[in-house]
Amino acid sequence: MADAAAGPGGSGTRPGSKQSTNPADNYHLARRRTLQVVVSSLLTEAGFESAEKASVETLTEMLQSYISEIGRSAKSYCEHTARTQPTLSDIVVTLVEMGFNVDTLPAYAKRSQRMVITAPPVTNQPVTPKALTAGQNRPHPPHIPSHFPEFPDPHTYIKTPTYREPVSDYQVLREKAASQRRDVERALTRFMAKTGETQSLFKDDVSTFPLIAARPFTIPYLTALLPSELEIQQMEETDSSEQDEQTDTENIALHISTNSSLSGSRNGEESIIDNPYLRPVKKPKIRRKKLTLKQVLNSLNIIFDGLAAIVAEPGYR
Amino acid sequence: MPPTGIETSRMNRKKGDKGFESPRPYKLTHQVVCINNINFQRKSVVGFVELTIFPTVANLNRIKLNSKQCRIYRVRINDLEAAFIYNDPTLEVCHSESKQRNLNYFSNAYAAAVSAVDPDAGNGELCIKVPSELWKHVDELKVLKIHINFSLDQPKGGLHFVVPSVEGSMAERGAHVFSCGYQNSTRFWFPCVDSYSELCTWKLEFTVDAAMVAVSNGDLVETVYTHDMRKKTFHYTLTIPTAASNISLAIGPFEILVDPYMHEVTHFCLPQLLPLLKHTTSYLHEVFEFYEEILTCRYPYSCFKTVFIDEAYVEVAAYASMSIFSTNLLHSAMIIDETPLTRRCLAQSLAQQFFGCFISRMSWSDEWVLKGISGYIYGLWMKKTFGVNEYRHWIKEELDKIVAYELKTGGVLLHPIFGGGKEKDNPASHLHFSIKHPHTLSWEYYTMFQCKAHLVMRLIENRISMEFMLQVFNKLLSLASTASSQKFQSHMWSQMLVSTYGFLKSISNVSGKDIQPLIKQWVDQSGVVKFYGSFAFNRKRNVLELEIKQDYTSPGTQKYVGPLKVTVQELDGSFNHTLQIEENSLKHDIPCHSKSRRNKKKKIPLMNGEEVDMDLSAMDADSPLLWIRIDPDMSVLRKVEFEQADFMWQYELRYERDVVAQQESILALEKFPTPASRLALTDILEQEQCFYRVRMAACFCLAKIANSMVSTWTGPPAMKSLFTRMFCCKTCPNIVKTNNFMSFQSYFLQKTMPVAMALLRDVHNLCPKEVLTFILDLIKYNDNRKNKFSDNYYRAEMIDALANSVTPAVSVNNEVRTLDNLNPDVRLILEEITRFLNMEKLLPSYRHTITVSCLRAIRVLQKNGHVPSDSSLFKSYAEYGHFVDIRIAALEAVVDYTKVDRSYEELQWLLNMIQTDPVPYVRHKILNMLTKNPPFTKNMESPLCNEALVDQLWKLMNSGTAHDWRLRCGAVDLYFTLFGLSRPSCLPLPELGLVLNLKEKKAVLNPTIIPETGAGAQESASNAGCHAQLAGFQNPFSSSQDEEEVDMDTVHDSQAFISHHLNMLERPSTPGLSKYRPSSSRSSLMPQHSLGCDIIPPTKPPWSMELSRKGIGKEQPLEMGVHSMVAAPLSVFAKESTSSRHSEHHHHHHHEHKKKKKKHKHKHKHKHKHDSKDKDKEPFAFSSPASGRSVRSPSLSD
Repeated sequence: MADAAAGPGGSGTRPGSKQSTNPADNYHLARRRTLQVVVSSLLTEAGFESAEKASVETLTEMLQSYISEIGRSAKSYCEHTARTQPTLSDIVVTLVEMGFNVDTLPAYAKRSQRMVITAPPVTNQPVTPKALTAGQNRPHPPHIPSHFPEFPDPHTYIKTPTYREPVSDYQVLREKAASQRRDVERALTRFMAKTGETQSLFKDDVSTFPLIAARPFTIPYLTALLPSELEIQQMEETDSSEQDEQTDTENIALHISTNSSLSGSRNGEESIIDNPYLRPVKKPKIRRKKLTLKQVLNSLNIIFDGLAAIVAEPGYR
Repeated sequence: MPPTGIETSRMNRKKGDKGFESPRPYKLTHQVVCINNINFQRKSVVGFVELTIFPTVANLNRIKLNSKQCRIYRVRINDLEAAFIYNDPTLEVCHSESKQRNLNYFSNAYAAAVSAVDPDAGNGELCIKVPSELWKHVDELKVLKIHINFSLDQPKGGLHFVVPSVEGSMAERGAHVFSCGYQNSTRFWFPCVDSYSELCTWKLEFTVDAAMVAVSNGDLVETVYTHDMRKKTFHYTLTIPTAASNISLAIGPFEILVDPYMHEVTHFCLPQLLPLLKHTTSYLHEVFEFYEEILTCRYPYSCFKTVFIDEAYVEVAAYASMSIFSTNLLHSAMIIDETPLTRRCLAQSLAQQFFGCFISRMSWSDEWVLKGISGYIYGLWMKKTFGVNEYRHWIKEELDKIVAYELKTGGVLLHPIFGGGKEKDNPASHLHFSIKHPHTLSWEYYTMFQCKAHLVMRLIENRISMEFMLQVFNKLLSLASTASSQKFQSHMWSQMLVSTYGFLKSISNVSGKDIQPLIKQWVDQSGVVKFYGSFAFNRKRNVLELEIKQDYTSPGTQKYVGPLKVTVQELDGSFNHTLQIEENSLKHDIPCHSKSRRNKKKKIPLMNGEEVDMDLSAMDADSPLLWIRIDPDMSVLRKVEFEQADFMWQYELRYERDVVAQQESILALEKFPTPASRLALTDILEQEQCFYRVRMAACFCLAKIANSMVSTWTGPPAMKSLFTRMFCCKTCPNIVKTNNFMSFQSYFLQKTMPVAMALLRDVHNLCPKEVLTFILDLIKYNDNRKNKFSDNYYRAEMIDALANSVTPAVSVNNEVRTLDNLNPDVRLILEEITRFLNMEKLLPSYRHTITVSCLRAIRVLQKNGHVPSDSSLFKSYAEYGHFVDIRIAALEAVVDYTKVDRSYEELQWLLNMIQTDPVPYVRHKILNMLTKNPPFTKNMESPLCNEALVDQLWKLMNSGTAHDWRLRCGAVDLYFTLFGLSRPSCLPLPELGLVLNLKEKKAVLNPTIIPETGAGAQESASNAGCHAQLAGFQNPFSSSQDEEEVDMDTVHDSQAFISHHLNMLERPSTPGLSKYRPSSSRSSLMPQHSLGCDIIPPTKPPWSMELSRKGIGKEQPLEMGVHSMVAAPLSVFAKESTSSRHSEHHHHHHHEHKKKKKKHKHKHKHKHKHDSKDKDKEPFAFSSPASGRSVRSPSLSD
C-alpha cells in the first residue's frame, strides 16, 4: 500500500516540474491520481503487498482506456437512438458489447472487502480563464455532484431564437411531404424511363408519358409476393412495439427451453419433432458384401451407362 | 365373349344405385408407382407401375387400363410378356377428313369418345391381353401382377414442369414439377385405373435430385440416397385405400416447414418464400380443429402436406393427404385483402380432404354429394370464422350466381341419370355439351354445379336440422374409416364410396324424415324458381293480399310447389307466415296483427327481439305494413322480384337486421331515386354497426341514385362530405389522414367510396371536376409510412376510381388521337397512371395489383377515345414471364381490343397463345375471356368470321387440346359462342343438298342451305352424318366388343404373335417410340372404337372392313395395325382368319340393323363410299414406322 501510495506522488512529479502551469493539466493529473489510488486499492484488495511503479502505471493506463471506451461507446449508443444523454441501458449494452458480464456487477459492488475511495481533492479543479464573463453561470442541477466542473459561460449555451417559427402546421407539412415524394418519384421514374427502354401510349409523342418498358422476369412470383425492402423496413418501424413483445416472449421461451428440466413445455418438445421430412437421408444399402475390383468396375460402368441413357433400366431399384 | 359384369352393373346402377358393383371384371388391390428418373431439362419422366389385381370372372383375358401421353415400353403380367393395344379416341374426336363443322356433331362424338375410354364404364385407353399361359391361373381367380414400364416426354397435361431459365442447377433455379388436372386426370402421368371408384393401397417411389424434395400421398417411410449419392429416393406408402385420381406428386427444391401446432402437418414452398409460408399457414390448425370438432371425426390420414407451387392449374387442388396450392396465395402479415381469400382456400381444400379424397364417389352422378358436403362444411367454417353476416352474404351471392347461370343457360342438373341413351332423354339437351362425363363439361358449368351442390346441402340441412346433418356425415366417415382399416378385405372398400342413394338412405335413417320431394326438385331436376310477388292491403278485412306468380316456362326455370315462408314486419312486430304454393293458387291472404298506427310513440319490435323507434311519417297511414320479405331464409333456389313501395324498402334497409334483406333493399332502391332513398343510404353508410359489405353496396347505389337525381341534387357530390368526415383530417378537410388500416371495415369502406364516387356524373354526363380533384388529392396525400399494412390494394382502387371517372371523349369526326387534343382532366389521370406504372417497376406492389389496375385504366382510356387504341402495350405485358395477374389483365385488354377493333391479327395472336403458352391456366383463361367477351357471336355479321377461323377453332377443340380436358371444353364453349350449335354460317354450303332427318324419317333439304329460323331448326339441322353417328352412340359397346372378341381368340391361338411381339419389345426404341403418336393413324382409328357405329357400315371405319374385304389381299393386316393404334404387336391378330371372321361378324351385325334403318342407309352408303374411296390409300400415307413395320412383320409375310 505504501508503494502504491507513492505512485500518485511519483506520477505527480513529471508535470510537477512545471508546477501547474495549466489548470486543465492539473485536472488531468488529479484524475489520474485518483485512478492510481483506485488501482492501488484494487491491488491491495487482490492481496498484493507492493507493486512496481511501471505495473501500476500500466494498470492505470488500462483502466483509463477501459473507462474511456465505455464512455465513448455509450455515447455512440445513445446518439444512435437520437438521444443526447446516455441511459443505463446504453451502458449495459456497451458493457455487454465489450464482453463484460453485467450480471456479476451488483454482487461485485456489494462485496464485503471493498474499499471506499473518497472524492478527489477539489483543489486542483481546472480553472477556465475568465476572459470574458457574460451573465451568471448556471448552477448545477441537483443530479450533478458538486465536484463536477461548473457550467461554462452562458453565451456558450444560451440561445436566442431569431429564425422563423418552424413549419409545424399540419396541412403545410402534409402538403410538403406529398409534393416532395411526388417530385422524387417523378424524377426517378423519368430518369429510369430516359435511360432505359420505354413504351408510349401515343405514337406521335414518346416523351410526355414515357412508360418504362415491361420486362418479363425469370421468376415472376418472387417480386410479386415478397414485400419490398422498403415495406419490410416500414413494417419494422411501425410495429416495433409488437416486436418488443415478441422478443420478450421469445426470451421467455428461450429461458424455459434452457431450463427444460423445470417444465416439459411445448418448447421442450419442439426440439424432438418427429417429422419424416426432417429425418436424415439414409445411406444406400450395400447389397453385395464382398466387392471385388471387377464388381466395382462393373458397377461403375452400370452407373455410367445409366447416366448416359436417361432411360433407366426398368427393373432397377 | 359373354357379357361380363359391365352390363349387369350398369343396369343395377340405373335402378337406383344400391351398393357398388365394379364395372371391371377384376378388383385392383394395390398399386406401385415408381418414378426413377425425372429430367427437368428435357421435361421427361421414366418409371414403372405395378398393379395387383384379382380377377372376378373366370374368363378374364383382357385388362383395360387408363393411360394418356405415356409411352409404354413393356407390359408384363406375372413376369410374362403381355401384348397390349393403345387406343385413345379422344386424341382426335372427329377424323380430320370430315367436313362436319357443327357443334352438335362434335359434342356427341366427343362424349362418345370419352365414354369409350371411361373407367367408370370399365373402359380404358390401354388394353392388355392376358398371356395364354396364365389363363388357367386366371380361371382360379388368382392374383395377377401387371408390370408396366413407361415414360413421359414433355407432357402437355397432367404433369406440369416449371423450369425458369436462369443460371444454376435445377434446384437453384427453383425448377419444380407437379401433377395437375381437372377431375380424374392421373392417367396423364402414369397408367392406372383412373376412376374415383377403384380404390387400392399404394406404394409410391420417386428418385429425385438430392437437392429436391418429392412430396406425394401417404406416409414418407424413408428417404434413401442412391449409390452415387447424387440422388435420393422418397418412399411413400398409402395404406388407406385411395383412388388413382386422388394420387398426386410435387417435386422441387422446396423449403420445408413443420407446422408448429401439428407436427404431422408439413408445409412446402418454393425457395425464398419461407417467411410468407410461415405466416400463411399459421392459421391452418384452427381449420383442422373446426372440422374435426363438427364432424366428430379425426382427420382420416396420418399426415397432411400442403405444397405451394407456381403456375398452378387451379388455386386449390386436394388429393389424398396432400393439397397443392398456387404459390400466389402466400402473403405476408401486411396484406389485408388476400388473407381471407387464402384462408378460404385452405379451408376448402381441407374440407375436400374428408369428402372427395378420403370418401370418394361411386360414379360421376354422385359427384354432387361430395362437392355438396365439402362445400357445406366449408360454409359452416365460414360462418364460424367470418361471422353470420359474411356467411349469409356468401350464400346470397352463391344463390344469385347459380340463379343467373341457370336462367342464362337453362339449368344445372346435380344428379343426372341416363336412361336408355335416347336422344330425347338427354337431360341436358339445352346445353352444347354432354353432362354425362366430367370431362365434357364446360368449366363454368362445373363451377356452378359445385355451387348448386352446396346450396342444396344447405336446403337439406334446413329440412332435417344441422344436428342430423352432421350425424349423417359422421356416419359416412365412420363407415369409411372402418372400411379403410380392413387391409385384406378389399371388397369392404366400397364402403368408402359415397353414392346418392347411400347418402339419402343415411339421411332417412338418421333423421327419419322424407326428403324425397326436395331431392326430386333440386337434385334430380334442373332449373331454379322465379317468383314475382306483389301485394295489396285490404283495410276493411285487415288482411294482406299477397300475390305470388311463377315463371316456369322460361329456360332454366321449374315450377315450385310446397311451403314458402313470408315474413311481414308490421307495426306490432315481425310475423312469419308459411304459405303453401300450389298449382293454381296465386293469391294468399295473410291476416295482419296490428291495426294501422294506433299509438305513434310505441317502439316497434323487430324479428330479433330488438325494439326500435322509427319515424313513421313516411308510411302509408292506412296500412300497418312496414315491409314484406319472401323466402327470407333462402330455402328455395329462387329469384324473387317483389314489388313494394319505396318507403317500405327504405324501412327494410334501415331496420331489418338481416344483411341479405339490406342488400336486396339496396338493389331495389336503385329504382327509387328520391331524397328519402338518399337519406336512408347515407344513414346506412354512416352506421358503423352495419355490415361493411352492405355499406359498400350502399356506396354504389348512392352513386346511381345521385346520377338519376342529377338535376335536383343539392349539396356536395354524394359521399364526399361523408368521406371527409370519416377519413380526412379535422383541420384540413381536403387532406386524407395518414393511412391506418387497423379497422378492416373502415378500410374496405375507404377503398370503395372513391371508386363509387367516380361513377357520379353531372348534367353533361361528365364526372364532376370536384370529384376528380378529390380523387387526385387522395392519391397525392396518400401516406402509408405509419401504417402497419400495405396500401397496395388501396392505391390500386384509387386507380380504378380514376378509370371510373373517364367518360367518352368528344370526338370530332374520328380525328386521330394525339397529345395535343388531350382533355386536361385526362392528362392529369394519365400522369398518375404513368407514375404509378413506372413506380411499380422500381417498387413492385404485392401481386402487382397496381400494374393490373393501371393496365385496366389504360384500356378504359383507349376505349373512350382519349388515347389511341393500341394493343402493343398489353401484348408486351401479356408475355410469359410476367406475374400471372398482370398477364390476365393484359390479355383481357387484348381480348377487348380484338372485339372493339375487330382485329384479325390480335385474334390470331390470342389463338396462338392458347396453343403455345406454357401456363395451362393462362390458356384456359384466354378461352374463357374470349367466351365472355367474344369478338362476335353467332347471330352477328363480322369480318372476323371466316372459314379459316372455323377450321382453326375446330382443330383446336378436335385435336389441339386433347391433353387438357378443361381447355378442350373451353374451346367448345368458345366455338359455341361464336358459331352456335349448327354449321357456322360463314362456311360454304356442303356438297350434299339433301340430308336425312332421322327423327321425321324423311329426307329434307340440307338446313344449312335454308337459312335457319330458330332453335327448333337447329335440332334438326344436324345433317345426316351426324344423326347416323348419334344413333351409333347409343350402343358404343356391342360392336367394338364383338369385334375385339374375335381378335382375342385368334391372338391367343397364335404363337407367332407372341414371338413376334417379343421381338418387337426387345427393340423398344425403334417402332415403339412412335407408336403412340396417334397422328399417324388417328383418322382411321377413331370411329371404330369410339363410335362403334353398328348401323351404317360406310360411315364408320369404312376403310377398315371394307378394305379388307375388297381384298387388299396380303396387306389386309394393315388395317389392323392402324386400327390398333400403332400397337405394332397387334397387327398379328390380323391374320387372315381373324379379319375374315371379323368382317363376317360385322356383316352379320349390320344385317339386323339394316331392316330398321334401311331407308337412309343407302343414301349414306352413297356418300360415305365416296369418302372411303378417298381414303383407300390413307393407311399407307399415314403409316407410322410402327404400322409400316407391321406390314413387313415376319408373321405377315408368311
